[in-house]
Amino acid sequence: MESALRNEWYCVPWKVLLLNIVEKIFQDHSENPVQRVEPGDIVNVKVDKVIMLDIAGLHPELLNNPPKKPFDRDKIAMIFDHFVPAPNVEVASGVSKLRKLAKRWDIGNFFDYGRGGISHTFAAERGWFLPGRIVANTDSHSIAAGAYNMLSRGLGTPELMQVICTGKTWYIVGETIKVNLTGKLTGAAEAKDIFLRMAGDMGDIPNTNIEFGGTGIASLSVDQRAVITTMCAELSADFAVFPHDSVLESYLDGRAEAPYRPVTADKDETYTLTSEFDMSEIRPMVAMPDHVAGNTRPAADIHGSRIDQATIGSCANGRLDDLASAARILKGRKVAKDVRLIVTPATQSIYLKADELGYLRIIAEAGGVVTNPTCGACMGGHMGLLGEGDVAITSTTRNFKGRMGSRDARIYMASSATVAASAVNGYITDPGDILGVNSGE
Amino acid sequence: MNKVLQGKAWTFGDNINTDLMYPHACYTLPEEERPRHTMWANRPGWAGQVNSGDILVAGKNFGVGSSRPAASNLKGLGISVVVAESVNGLFLRNSVNVGLPVVSCPGVSGIVREGDTVTVSMDTGKLVNETSGKATEFKPLPGFLMDIIEAGGIIEVLRKNGQIDSNPL
Repeated sequence: MESALRNEWYCVPWKVLLLNIVEKIFQDHSENPVQRVEPGDIVNVKVDKVIMLDIAGLHPELLNNPPKKPFDRDKIAMIFDHFVPAPNVEVASGVSKLRKLAKRWDIGNFFDYGRGGISHTFAAERGWFLPGRIVANTDSHSIAAGAYNMLSRGLGTPELMQVICTGKTWYIVGETIKVNLTGKLTGAAEAKDIFLRMAGDMGDIPNTNIEFGGTGIASLSVDQRAVITTMCAELSADFAVFPHDSVLESYLDGRAEAPYRPVTADKDETYTLTSEFDMSEIRPMVAMPDHVAGNTRPAADIHGSRIDQATIGSCANGRLDDLASAARILKGRKVAKDVRLIVTPATQSIYLKADELGYLRIIAEAGGVVTNPTCGACMGGHMGLLGEGDVAITSTTRNFKGRMGSRDARIYMASSATVAASAVNGYITDPGDILGVNSGE
Repeated sequence: MNKVLQGKAWTFGDNINTDLMYPHACYTLPEEERPRHTMWANRPGWAGQVNSGDILVAGKNFGVGSSRPAASNLKGLGISVVVAESVNGLFLRNSVNVGLPVVSCPGVSGIVREGDTVTVSMDTGKLVNETSGKATEFKPLPGFLMDIIEAGGIIEVLRKNGQIDSNPL
């Protein structure tokens, strides 16, 4: 492992090195001091925190060979989120073993059913996601953490075991693309639609990072940014980061668990490619079934496609904004007779806040099912799987064939507003039609 | 591990995701039964036809998706190496960490047809289609990653370092 650092710089005398945000965080966490971090390098880095999930309880390689001793018990958190509460005996037995492990390691940050939520959405709420940090987590949507000017990405469970033992991991440094967002969202368009538009235009970008910027980002809340960064996993991006600004500063004010140092890109930093999206031109979008990158269309183009189920939730779109958006559309309306609406908040605190604001009641009165916080149906675990021939529209993270249940089901993916509007009409609907903001177009 | 891998090619298109390789049902099945469900949604019956040493050739964005142990299913079926137009970074990590070599080889899908015999040289980065005689090159995996693959995956590395407990939970 020690040989991993392949920064083959020799005598670079005081050269001015320009780094972007991702590279700076790598440099700052490098196990050995490095002057340069360049695409293609492998860097060994120290991590600031490790998050372990209930899903580890379904990994025999962990249950049979648990790490002897965590590198630092205070830096390890265990959060149960994927199968909450346990839908079957296999899961129940697996997570019981993890509870034993939490005791053995004396893990203070252990969040069992009803105490947490989807790991990285919850970690952000707790103030664990701070500028400049690196957090190791097995969830593939951990890339979400880039919204907080830091780095995290999905890792497999065997690799998480290694991080727990050593406190270290490695990254291959990728090229970085700059995505400038200008203007601001209008009408019924939501943060998910910005991503879906990007996904349609950019396609897949394996082994590449995205750095967001542009004059429009100040109009996006931290939650909206996290919707976008979460979804960048679907482009196969390694990391997707936002800069630190006053919006993030106010979000972290009173929440940050420790002092932090914002990370800014060097002004002259050049990126492999720069793209620009004018958010004021973005309309509600839908990802067509089976894959996301290069497979999205305006909702209006497929208006009228019949649906059987509508799902709102996940780490990306089980946020308070999503429940508010659903409630705004469902208030005084009913879910169409032949449609099932399932709403899954991302965390316990979002659930409680949505209850306090009356959103959960509005959804239930409209004929929707509100579940407890969990990843649930998004990853095909439980809480509303799809049967043969079902057509679904979901605001969760993936539309892969067979992901949410039957391989014969078709999954469209959209914003929570588009899902709620479609649930009311019984067919795919641009939410602007229901909200009356599309007139005059 | 043999660094020159030769086998019969199975071909797949673009965007083959982790959920196709490791369907949800695998999570709760006994470990040895999981691989037979590989590609259940997109190519039912395929898993039963794979022989040990076969090579998987795919299009772009191979392995997009979750951190689930998709590579373990391919390895469990006996696939010796995955060669794709481009590979998702999380899939690459998971593959390396269970000891399955995977390489990005732009252009590969144009020169390999299903059933062709293919030779992949991990050290030199050469891919030869023995059936058609066509050949191409790819960037070999960095030594750091090959070391993990050759050790048999990251858990074997941890075991060697005395970092894991042999008492099951």
